[in-house]
Amino acid sequence: MWTEKYRPRSLNDIVDQEEIVNRLKSFVKAKNVPHCIFAGPPGTGKTTAALCLAQDLYGPGYREYVMELNASDERGINVVRETVKTFARTKSIGEVSFKILILDEADNMTSDAQQALRRTMERYTETARFILIANYSGKIIEPIQSRCAPFRFTYLPMEHAINWIKHIAENEKLTIEDDGLEAILEISGGDLRRATNILQTAASVGKPINEETIYSVVGRANPSDVQGMLLTALNGNFVEARKKLRDMILKYGLAGTDIIGQIHNETFKLNVPDKWKVKLADIIGEVDFRLLQGSNEEIQLSALLAKLVEAGADIKRGQ
Amino acid sequence: MNVPWTLKYKPQTLDEVVGNKEAKDTILRWIREWNKKPPKKRALFIYGPPGTGKTVAAEALANDLGMELVQSNASNYRTSEAVQKFAGIASQYTTLFGKKRLILFDELDGIAGNADRGGLREITEVIKVTNSPIVLTANNAYDPRFSTLREHCQLVEFKKPTRTEIETLLKKICSYEGIEAEVEALKLIAERASGDLRSAINDLQALSQGKKRLTYEDVSWLSTRDRKDAVFKVLSDIFYARSSSDARRAVDAADVDLDMLFEWIYENAPYQIKNPNELSAVMEMLAVADLYRGRIGSTQNWELIRYFIDFMTAGVAVSWSHKSSGWVPFKFPTRIMMMSQSRAEREILTIIGLKIGKRCHISATCAIKEVIPYLRIIFQANDKWKKGLSRWFDLDEDMVNYLLTVKN
Repeated sequence: MWTEKYRPRSLNDIVDQEEIVNRLKSFVKAKNVPHCIFAGPPGTGKTTAALCLAQDLYGPGYREYVMELNASDERGINVVRETVKTFARTKSIGEVSFKILILDEADNMTSDAQQALRRTMERYTETARFILIANYSGKIIEPIQSRCAPFRFTYLPMEHAINWIKHIAENEKLTIEDDGLEAILEISGGDLRRATNILQTAASVGKPINEETIYSVVGRANPSDVQGMLLTALNGNFVEARKKLRDMILKYGLAGTDIIGQIHNETFKLNVPDKWKVKLADIIGEVDFRLLQGSNEEIQLSALLAKLVEAGADIKRGQ
Repeated sequence: MNVPWTLKYKPQTLDEVVGNKEAKDTILRWIREWNKKPPKKRALFIYGPPGTGKTVAAEALANDLGMELVQSNASNYRTSEAVQKFAGIASQYTTLFGKKRLILFDELDGIAGNADRGGLREITEVIKVTNSPIVLTANNAYDPRFSTLREHCQLVEFKKPTRTEIETLLKKICSYEGIEAEVEALKLIAERASGDLRSAINDLQALSQGKKRLTYEDVSWLSTRDRKDAVFKVLSDIFYARSSSDARRAVDAADVDLDMLFEWIYENAPYQIKNPNELSAVMEMLAVADLYRGRIGSTQNWELIRYFIDFMTAGVAVSWSHKSSGWVPFKFPTRIMMMSQSRAEREILTIIGLKIGKRCHISATCAIKEVIPYLRIIFQANDKWKKGLSRWFDLDEDMVNYLLTVKN
């Protein structure tokens, strides 16, 4: 995958997030790294920065000293207890006296697991340093935040994103038309991973890379026709809308929280009176919260679809 | 014969307990230590998901060794006073008749919140001094409430038995009962149980009682414990109930699984109720019912189940005018069928997701959402890249075919 092929391998290769990179370089120089939190939107280089830091610190054999865990795949208290502890308690032999544990998507950990993590961090500070990666640092519990140096990643400025895509295109000997480049930027909205995946997919089709190819590729890649589902409900066909929802969840394995994010985005684009948009936002927010409490995705979202059917009927009657 | 098969076919010896060989070995090693003197850890903490045989294992163990089982369950150790009663028993070596005792504190998860902390503390005290072996069971031994208690216990994990293990047991029961069962039927029951042996046996009994043959159709159609016409009656009693109490009573009258009943109501609501405002109100009632079910899941407080029932019955009945536009037949909840059909698909998707995640430094969820949709297009469009990437991600032929066949 090009996302990996072109992932920078040293802090020196990272062109963006200048301030952050400089601070990280100073850690390498001092051969000392505090516990860190890397927070920021997806595709802005958080994981890359962590991996580069490790490679600069330990050199080519860095894998021996670094452990990468993804909290979404292995959340829960047991993983922290067992895996992390086993890794954290053995000493590293070499110039640098500690190992690094990169915990990706740390904001997806349960608060119990975070509590356990906090103790582990404290106990093994001598032998292991943690880099927690999260989209929202707010979801990390306060006691961990206070033990970590915070780093806030932001979306790349447009010209850097453009350079990035051009750099890959040049290496892969691709020709991108200007409107194609614009389309990628528009869709990926500063998320470089997304931009790179779209570019590679468009290149695989073997057609000139222009606006049309990009939009057709992205359209095909998005099975979650959220907009279609919402319109079906607004037109009064609840059963069909629910079927679309069911397909998204069961066939394509989309998570309820992702669907709800998309619904939220689409709602404000819908052709319904503003009064309803606000009402719907309230309902969507409530569903979002209920999902966090362990409710069933399809059932909660169906109730939302039923509200849309109601809205559709009201609008038709001119209310 | 109305004996539940879970009881009738309960293992009599530890050896008969399905699966969990390692755990059983640990249990045996621990109990043997007692032959000499009380071991350092005087209690055994068996934990694992529901229906995996934790309690049954303790009972079988007592049986194996000819010990008397002194059992207590959740309601008995709410307070420290209640537990102290056990302290007396525990301090003695044998019963009046010279039988040794095994003390079982079952379902520790049932202890809720701070109010019951005294009970837990008292159990810990009993363990420290007991002269009789003690067994504790719970779903999750790593619940923070058990942290002190845990230190004094030998931990044993019970894992979910595999589908094949469950299937084998079901086959055995069928042969005892003289039931000729299709392999596919048993396979489906075993799969639906997803590791819960108790529910698998209950399902088998519900589906095959009074029959000599059990076919795949019986299982796929009748699903969990419900007879179709009985369900139709309950549904109509709920949807068209005259009062909220009538609607609630419909559940009592029906011998149906509540989750399954919920599915029936949820599936059929939009077919019965055409008015958009009413449908919306009813779906909201179902969503609230589901919310309570979720809270039961996250708090393990089963008393909340009454609200789940309130909203799915009374809530539905009173939220619409009962003016149907002619008779509409009830439909089977297709979601259940779809869920078991697509389970295999979702499993393969997760495995692919994990493999990609490992390479691309992301989670399986993220891979499923952000990489797989694009990978499908690449695989379909470009044979050379397909080969290279499959090798790089370490995808086998089945996985590649899956990516190629399922359309975006």
